[in-house]
Order: sequence, then structure tokens, then C-alpha cells
Amino acid sequence: MRDLPSGPELESLAREWEERGIDGLPPKERATAAAMIERCRAIARREAAAGTDALAPIRAALAALYVGDQSKHFAQLAAEIRSGALDAPSARRDRVLALLWSLTLQKLRESNPRFLAAHGYDPGAR
Amino acid sequence: MLAADSRTAALEAFLKQASGARDAAIRGWRRLSGGAVQECWAFEAEMRGGALDGSATLVLRTDAPTALAASRSRAQEFALLRAAFAAGVPVPEPLYCSEDAAVIGRPFFLMRWVSGVADGAAVVRSAEWDARRPKLLTELGRQLAAIHAMPVAANLAFLGEPPTDPAAARLARYREWLLQFDDPHPVAELALRWLARERRAPAQAVLCHGDFRTGNYLATHDGIAAILDWEFADWADPHEDIGWFCSKSWRFGAYDREAGGLGTREAFYRAYEAAGGRLIDPERVHYWEVAASLRWLLLALQQRDRFLKGGERSLDLALTGRRPAECEFEIIRLIDAHARGGA
Repeated sequence: MRDLPSGPELESLAREWEERGIDGLPPKERATAAAMIERCRAIARREAAAGTDALAPIRAALAALYVGDQSKHFAQLAAEIRSGALDAPSARRDRVLALLWSLTLQKLRESNPRFLAAHGYDPGAR
Repeated sequence: MLAADSRTAALEAFLKQASGARDAAIRGWRRLSGGAVQECWAFEAEMRGGALDGSATLVLRTDAPTALAASRSRAQEFALLRAAFAAGVPVPEPLYCSEDAAVIGRPFFLMRWVSGVADGAAVVRSAEWDARRPKLLTELGRQLAAIHAMPVAANLAFLGEPPTDPAAARLARYREWLLQFDDPHPVAELALRWLARERRAPAQAVLCHGDFRTGNYLATHDGIAAILDWEFADWADPHEDIGWFCSKSWRFGAYDREAGGLGTREAFYRAYEAAGGRLIDPERVHYWEVAASLRWLLLALQQRDRFLKGGERSLDLALTGRRPAECEFEIIRLIDAHARGGA
């Protein structure tokens, strides 16, 4: 459900760039690369701190909507929306929208808390 | 692309032949920032004789290792640039194009260097630009009207016939893009359903820039020096360019300056309409802003896959893979605002 690359992949990429070295880059590019390395690490840190617990309420909401293999619930949700079954206003549609909104906020807490803060959301709140 | 030494020699030979020069010498290669989709390199050319006689700073634009869907070829972008230049739209003067991979290893075109600031974040955030943003915004409104009035001549035949329903054509393309991803994206599905349901009567398609936004023009203290990056130009509803320009993704954090992070929508709309652009329908702009967030979401996923599957170990591409949530936030917010009658 989280956006990719994962936190560990970002951490690995940051390490790879540091080992390769950015000192030879022109000053502006070096500063940009250093900022991006730090951003990879920051996302990885926040994702690790949030862990799987952060997504537990979303998994539970999905499990209340779909049956069977939990790993397929998110794909089932996408398929149901694609089918048009959630076009019309309904309690189920409201639940789906609430679930998607919660997931989006959680992803932003990890990937871009400044974006959330700029829109009046407390990035630390759950 | 060839290594610098071989590239220099090959390009010197190309420039001599293309411009009719007796001699050509190139130095000072530097990669220009930005351009995750294409690569741009600037260099100094010293020419003797021919059409470019003298010294000039030139820019070479070539393909990145992997292209994005819907990104036009360099030859097509070159033709679009020539059409814009001929129509008086401020663009770098296009000079020569080559699709011959034997020259530098990839297709490319050359254009004259234009001075200016392309860094969208600087233009939007730096105090240096505070007093100049209103003028930039007005000029951009005028230039977009000029782009939408550009004649489409025979050399742009690759564009094909204008679609009778530009929104339907665009949604079909976005559906096709979405199907290419292995993982599910419910908010993208939600956006596609909403865009299909809320589609208005078809607009007359015009030639649109396709990526008209802050970060894709060169700004100077005197105004707009050039409109850049024509690789996504296509037939479209003119509101699509306006929605893209106003999309939150391109305000560089200045979210309250809804027109490109520069100023108000009203000022931009007024400048566009006063310059002969069509009457702007704010509801259509809202529609195309939802589409803009969907498009950026899909493009971000394509960039992500260049990292995940294409083997490009780029920090920028990897971090772009973590940006879809910003688009999803905006899609849900815009759809909700419309449902509440706030659009």
C-alpha cells in the first residue's frame, strides 16, 4: 500500500551515492544530491518508525470490506472502483473514501510531512 | 551518448556540415539541471564561416536513457519548436536536428542558448522575484493564448487529426498508462471514474504545450525569455494547459498563489483572455486540475519504474516514486470540493 521505493531501498540508494561520492560534482549539483540523500534517509527513518502498525487500521478497514487473502484486498479495492460500483453515493463509498484518505495522510506523514503541515495537518497526529 | 571527447569531435563535424562552416570548435560542455525526461547540454561553439559564423552558446537536447510514455521524439519536438519560433512565441531558436544515431549515439537537436532562470522554486520563493511575479504571470497568460492560436502546418502532420473529444482521448491514454503498472492504485482509479462521469461537452481541440508550468520557462528581470520543453505538445482542450499550470504540483509550495505559484487565477485568466485566448470556464479548469493531478501521479509512477525496473540509480527518480501521495491528496480534495459544490 505504501508508495515505492521502500524505505530500505531508499536507504540503500543513499548509501550507494555516498560511497560513490558526490564531492566531484559542481557545487549546485552537489548540494542537490546531498539534500536528496538526506531526504531518502529521512523517509526511510519515518517509515521504519511508523512500522507496520501505522497501516493496521487501514488493513482492518479493508478486511471489513473484502474477504479472502488479505494481501489482495487493496487490489480488490482498486478493481471495485474501476468497475464503477462505487460511483454513486453510498455508505460503502464513504467508507472507501475515508480509508483512502487515511492511507494518503499516512503516506504523506512518511514521505512528505512538510506538505501535510503546509495544508494545515499535524504530521505527527494519527 | 558518446563520451565527451568523441561527442565533441562528432558534433564539430556535424556542425560544420549542417551550417556550412569551414571550421567548428566546441568546448565547455556542461549538463543543464532539470530534465529528468530529456538531457540538455550547453557548450560554446566557435564557428568560421557558414550560417553560425562567430561564437555562440548552443544547447544540445537529447533523449534520456529511458523515455516516458507520450514523450515526443526529438525530431518532433524540434518541429514544434520551429513552429513556435515562427509564430513569435518566445522559444530558443531551433537550429539543427539529427536522428542519425551515428553522430552522438542518440537523436538530438541543437538550439541557441537563452539566458534566464528556469528554477521554478527560485522564481516562486525568492524575494528577488516578489515584485516581478505579477508581470511574469501576465506574460505567461499572453504567451499561452499565443500558443493556443499557433497555426498547425504540414510539418506538424505527426500530430494527426485533432480529436473530436479531447477529454475522452486523454482519459483513454491515462487508462492505458495505469494498466501498465503492476501494483494497484485505487485513487488513480477513483480519478479516472470521476473524470469519465464529469466529462463536459467536447471542447474544440487546439495545439497545447502539454507541460506549460512554472519550471518550464526561462524568467528574467525583464519578463519571460523562453517557453521550454515542448515534448508533450498535443491536440487538447485549451483548459488542459490552464489546469496543468494552476495545478498544486507546480506552485512549488506557494499554494495560495494558485496560478503557477506566481499570483491569482483571475490575473492569469484575464491576461489569457485579453490576448485573444478563449473564454475560460473555471469549472473546466477544475476538471483539468483533477486530470493534472492524475497525470502527475501516473508520470511519477513511470519515473519510479525507471528506477525500480529500468536500472537508473537516480536519487531524483527514486524520490519521485514517493510523490504519488501528494497527487492523491489533491485528487481526493478536489473531488470532495466538487461534491460539496466548491468547484
